[in-house]
Amino acid sequence: MTDTPLIQLVDVTKTYHLESGDFTALDHVFLDIKENDFVAIMGPSGSGKSTMMNQLGILDVPTSGKLFISGREVATMSNLERTHMRRDTIGYIFQKFYLIPLLSAYENVEYPLILKYKKRDTSGKASVLLEQVGIDKDMSEHRPTQLSGGQQQRVAIARALVNDPKILLCDEPTGNLDSRTGYQIMDIVCGLHKEGKTVILVTHDPKIAEYAHRTIRLVDGRIAAS
Amino acid sequence: MMKGDIFFNLSLRSVRLNFLRSMLAAIGIVIGVVAIASMGMLGTNMQLEVKEQLSATANTIVISSDTVRMGPPGFTPSSSTASGVTKSELTKIVSVVGSNGTVIPIYSTDGEFTINSLAGRGSIYGIDPGDIGKFLTLNQTYGNGTIDIGAGEVLVGADLADDFNLKVGTRIRIGSFTSSSRPELRIAGVLQPRGTVADGISTDNGIVVNSQWYTDQFGGKDEWTQVNVIVKNVDDISDIESALDAKINTNAKTPSVRITDASSQLATETSTLSTVTTFIMAIGGISLLVAAVSIFNVMMMSVSERIQEIGILLSIGTEKGEVRRMFLYEAFILGLLGAGIGGVSSLLIGYTVVDAMIGTTAYLFQPASILYVPAAMAVGVVVCVISGMYPAWRASNMDPIDALRSE
Repeated sequence: MTDTPLIQLVDVTKTYHLESGDFTALDHVFLDIKENDFVAIMGPSGSGKSTMMNQLGILDVPTSGKLFISGREVATMSNLERTHMRRDTIGYIFQKFYLIPLLSAYENVEYPLILKYKKRDTSGKASVLLEQVGIDKDMSEHRPTQLSGGQQQRVAIARALVNDPKILLCDEPTGNLDSRTGYQIMDIVCGLHKEGKTVILVTHDPKIAEYAHRTIRLVDGRIAAS
Repeated sequence: MMKGDIFFNLSLRSVRLNFLRSMLAAIGIVIGVVAIASMGMLGTNMQLEVKEQLSATANTIVISSDTVRMGPPGFTPSSSTASGVTKSELTKIVSVVGSNGTVIPIYSTDGEFTINSLAGRGSIYGIDPGDIGKFLTLNQTYGNGTIDIGAGEVLVGADLADDFNLKVGTRIRIGSFTSSSRPELRIAGVLQPRGTVADGISTDNGIVVNSQWYTDQFGGKDEWTQVNVIVKNVDDISDIESALDAKINTNAKTPSVRITDASSQLATETSTLSTVTTFIMAIGGISLLVAAVSIFNVMMMSVSERIQEIGILLSIGTEKGEVRRMFLYEAFILGLLGAGIGGVSSLLIGYTVVDAMIGTTAYLFQPASILYVPAAMAVGVVVCVISGMYPAWRASNMDPIDALRSE
């Protein structure tokens, strides 16, 4: 099982066509990420971290090269298949939390379940997860704007986990939080890794990167060190 | 099912969040729905009213001279000397009808009359006093009148009596102020209102004089403008009509009289009214078109305000169809809001307009009339959903990365 990587980038290049000329954000990248890996991706601004995350999160497809997730080549999948893979296989944790403003904390967590099962959730899974990340019942009725940054990120983690994804993509998860809250969030992420999740973490904070078992440095769209 | 739908809830909350804007957009739909529904109701009520009134004279055959066809080129029929139904034709009518109905020969013309210093205009009917009671009745609240009018007496219509404040005993002069002779007659009675009738005798704004006096005044003796036949059994009406046609119109190429009844007039009047109704409703429909533009505008605003939210939805695995559905729901809610308010308003406005213009709301709740309300509401909702289609499509086809990045 561990022989086939969960995520495999083979000679992946991503080029953006800008008015000022073509810009290569990822330049012939090869990378294997195995199941239950904990990988930190570091690098200066413009090094291709975001592009890499968009590729791993299959929000985008490579210009050339191949990206495999769970053995499937992303570029050959239909739009709907990619949507379903985002929903079922990948959990996203963003720097800006990106909760749905019109939904309560509970509904935000329930939302991916509704997407998957096409009906309101009756299993109570959302409530259990909210409790696990430290959001009590009273708080879960609140809208995102009524919650603190740390609370919002906890809700976002619960949302990312609710469909039991194999992969957790964390894009600067502590970037908008004070350091104490940041460490609390990282403790939760580490716990999830111990439970068997494959965690990919983008950060430019070396202390946060220390949580990872493996660190990849991106410079000008190439992997400089691994 | 819809109530539990998270996308419906999202749309509902979005409408609530921008309530004022949503209401303003919905007002267009309200106006459109009210325009279509109340105009449709008004038209239908007019048709029903006409139908009801015409059916009161459904047992009457009207025989009039076919002057238009009989006249040589350039011939202009003048009211009193045009050849009408002749005495020999009348004799034939009487013999055909026999005991199956009543034959009433009638003279009529348009004329002016004056009451004190006021002038008026209306139809003047010359009828034998013995025939008047066969189809006209008096309204005795204007004074104790009589149908048996002599040469110097006249019956006036109800609207005329109200307009000129006439009573039994008031004097009326036939002819305009400039006429050389303006004979004065005494009002002997006021007739009951008849409304729209198919027998050609619209007395509401007219006057009825003794036929003898009429021919003395206007000439044209034994050349009746029309002959009405009131049949005893309405089912015989077409048999009698064909018998009359066979007997009088012996030359098929140039028929000498025209034979009509309520059914043909009803067909003409209702088709005219329904054309007018459709036309007015089409104008109402234009207001819905304007409403569609404002709904479209509000939906586009909603989409561009929520770009980042759309980005979140798409990136965490929401299908394009689900995003589309969310925005179509929003348009649908705006439509329901507009159509709901429009439906209630059109009931109120329709009732008021119908009451004011027709004078009765007796037909308002008949299916043909009241169904305009749900129909117009449905049109309003459909227009909204159609207006929301492009914005919804646009939202669902956004690139999630670009959408997430937008602030």
